Amino acid sequence: MFLIPHARRLGLRLLGKEGDNLMIEMPFNPELEVTAGGGIIANGAITAFLDTALGAAAYDQFETYKKIVTLDLRVDYFEKPEAFSSVIVKTRCLKITEQAVFVQGDAFSKDEITPIAHAVAVFSYEAMTTSVDDTLKRLDGISSGDAG
Amino acid sequence: MIQDFLIKLKKREEFDQSLDISPYAKMMGFRLTRAQSELTTVMKFNADLVGSPFPPALHGGTIASLLEMAALMQLIWTIDMTDNRQPFPKTIDITIDYLRSGKPVDTYARAKVFRRGRRFATLHSEAWQIDQKKPIAAAMLHFQMID
Repeated sequence: MFLIPHARRLGLRLLGKEGDNLMIEMPFNPELEVTAGGGIIANGAITAFLDTALGAAAYDQFETYKKIVTLDLRVDYFEKPEAFSSVIVKTRCLKITEQAVFVQGDAFSKDEITPIAHAVAVFSYEAMTTSVDDTLKRLDGISSGDAG
Repeated sequence: MIQDFLIKLKKREEFDQSLDISPYAKMMGFRLTRAQSELTTVMKFNADLVGSPFPPALHGGTIASLLEMAALMQLIWTIDMTDNRQPFPKTIDITIDYLRSGKPVDTYARAKVFRRGRRFATLHSEAWQIDQKKPIAAAMLHFQMID
């Protein structure tokens, strides 16, 4: 589902879309644990997930393919994720200007009411120079991950 | 666990140690190095760290993760780890500025403790690749030092 090699590595999958909002899941995977067997997903993985999810939300705002680049990202960590649980991110696009897309998102773990983390990001965008088909073909050569 | 790992390393002037003790750090290819009393966290390049394939660039999230790891390592290195009453620092927030696109090569990060109070610590972390004077990203972080 995600063409991005690192998003594939994290196992991200799109759960659905409600209007402008995306719902993306990072399933629990022992490789993402801070300490082996502890069941707690590392902060870094959650940060990378939020970066991807918010980038996907920015990308989703356009009819044509755009290259999305993160300008800045801020993450607040409210609490540890639930042990052995997947993490779900819900995104919201705040504003699109000529140069930038403003996005925010919440990460949930034990339920979908109490967020465990919150993120705000600004992305710049520009027209993509290679076609998606072309990218897909060449991606097979670069990523060791499975096609989602 | 990470404290014990660092306590052992603290006696050594120079080292280049894998952070395989954490599954996530292993997945990311993180290493901790020390030379000329400077602590550096390294993210060894691998194809799974790519965010944008053409031209190949590192995923911004992986750089954020490296910046946070470097800050955490520097903070634990700085505090008295032999004191059992000292809880493991908790990341409160991170604000990342992406300055240049990350090339598909090894990335380095070094952090500085700006202020260390009783309850909170503020750190600044910077990541670079070939030229340390040209950082690819920088971050400000807050950690909670007590439960």
